[in-house]
Amino acid sequence: MTSVTSLAELDLKTVEEFLFHEARLLDEKKWQKWDGLFTTDGTYWMPASVDQPDPLNYVSLIYEDKLLRAVRIERFDNENAHSLQPIPRSVHLVSNVMIDAYDAVSGTCTVNSRFVVFEYRRDEQRIYGGAYIHDLIFDGTDFKIKQKRVNLVNCESALDNINVYL
Amino acid sequence: MSQANTIDIEPLLHKDEVHRKVYTDPDIFDLEMERLWHRTWIYVGHESQVKNPGDYFATTIGRQPVILVRHKDDKIHVLYNRCAHKGAQLVGDTSGCVKAFRCCYHGWRFDTDGALLTIPLEGGYDNTGFCRDNPDTNVKKVPRYDSYRGFVFASLSAKGPDLKTWLGGVASSIDNMVDRAPDGELEVTGGVLRYTHDSNWKFFVENLNDLMHAIVTHQSSSQTARIVAKRVMDEKDEVPWAVEIFSPFTNRYSFFEEMGLHAFEYGHSYSGGKVSIHSAYSDIPGYVEALESAYGKEKTLDIFSENRHNTVFYPSATIKGPIQTMRVVKPLAVDKTVIESWTFRLKGAPEAMTQRSILYCTLINSSANLVGPDDYESYHRLQYGLQSEANDWVSMHRHMDQEIVNADGTIEAEGTNDIVFRNQFKAWKQYMSAEDA
Ligand code: FES
Ligand SMILES: [Fe+2]
Repeated sequence: MTSVTSLAELDLKTVEEFLFHEARLLDEKKWQKWDGLFTTDGTYWMPASVDQPDPLNYVSLIYEDKLLRAVRIERFDNENAHSLQPIPRSVHLVSNVMIDAYDAVSGTCTVNSRFVVFEYRRDEQRIYGGAYIHDLIFDGTDFKIKQKRVNLVNCESALDNINVYL
Repeated sequence: MSQANTIDIEPLLHKDEVHRKVYTDPDIFDLEMERLWHRTWIYVGHESQVKNPGDYFATTIGRQPVILVRHKDDKIHVLYNRCAHKGAQLVGDTSGCVKAFRCCYHGWRFDTDGALLTIPLEGGYDNTGFCRDNPDTNVKKVPRYDSYRGFVFASLSAKGPDLKTWLGGVASSIDNMVDRAPDGELEVTGGVLRYTHDSNWKFFVENLNDLMHAIVTHQSSSQTARIVAKRVMDEKDEVPWAVEIFSPFTNRYSFFEEMGLHAFEYGHSYSGGKVSIHSAYSDIPGYVEALESAYGKEKTLDIFSENRHNTVFYPSATIKGPIQTMRVVKPLAVDKTVIESWTFRLKGAPEAMTQRSILYCTLINSSANLVGPDDYESYHRLQYGLQSEANDWVSMHRHMDQEIVNADGTIEAEGTNDIVFRNQFKAWKQYMSAEDA
């Protein structure tokens, strides 16, 4: 990954590279490393409706803190997790990346992007599309994810199993 | 339907096993729609989804689109979602609020009780027989609808037992869920999750009180949650709700045996009773106090002395009273079923109670959750396994005839008895064999 020399110099390319790197970790099944991108209190959130105000008072498709991510990640390697046998494969495409907000003092930034994910398992390919909203913290060298929000374009529809992190 | 009507039901069922075709044959599915889903009481929605006059909620009964709506006199109606003119669906959305229904096609307008209001260029119907004194120009109400403590059910058949009689022994599961609200009322909250399954609806309905499956099917999520929690938590840390929710799925077999089963007429059942997998959740500050100040200590203890796992209102709905969630079954095809999950707020209880129910729903019922996909996988493998001609018969032999049949006809059994399945199929056969509604 490119390192950036100062907080003030945060540019789109650096942010993009981070998002591509994050997506690639998922595709390469490096889940522990991927989880390491989150802050200790970082959350992964896939709402069940696009305008959902919060994950506590409304049901979500996924709302996971560190503990729940650890459970999901360990299930990938658990032969008794029957729905993950065989382990699903994925390809994540990330695009249209824009920095919506950046505060050089605190290093917090909000990044908006679009994604397409292909999930493949047992002869079946599923395609998901939507928008990511990453709340990131940048310390001048590295990014950490405070929250990754996944707005699936069809999140309100009656969805079949989703077996991978989008 | 002609194909379906020639199906002989009798040979599909033995007292202890059922023919695989009941899960795989599209003609049997058609007959189920006609004779079971379009005749018995089906859950439509909750009164709190249509709080104010004009509020409506569009849903289905079997294959038929219907609208739950509150009229200006505050009465709730269930209407066929079909314009009286040429039959367009009157509302396309799942919910909303209207002064009157205006059809999207030729603009006929109907009141929220279905009565015709206006027809553009109405004179064109003069002397045709299809004018406003013909009742067919109103939107039809479904033959019967009624509600029990806020839960609205409807039947497309004019005949049959009334709702209270039909609910019988499982009405008390609704009572216990509602009584858990200090204000004595529930309210739908937090949105809905809709989960498509590529399998027959009966697998889902049977699974709810299949207490032999959780230890195996949910081993990977429940055990992993226990292990991860141990690894990352200090001993003095409070156990997170998520861990409390996951852990009991892998309680010992003896726990599930002791939970027990109760089965009733019309295919209803519940598991648990004095204890269930929902018994050991931690106290939420202020809740017990709120309940005690509403009902007194004794009644509060009484409410908590019941802890039921899943209650099945056969065939369309199932609730978990102690955690206030509901799953509604929508069969679409012989091998396609949508499960809707709803959460209820206990009016007068601390908000944290609702948040725990919301978390439960997210963790257990969403399409991307950590538990349901393994159930899904089992249903999927059943659907495909039963294509096999190795054996036409699907077993429900476990603890055959070990159940206790009480004088009033209600049935009790230990938790791993297959009585729930046998009881569902007994009702199924009665509905399926009756040619007239
Ligand atoms: S179909 Fe509704 S007005 Fe014609
Ligand atoms: Fe299960």
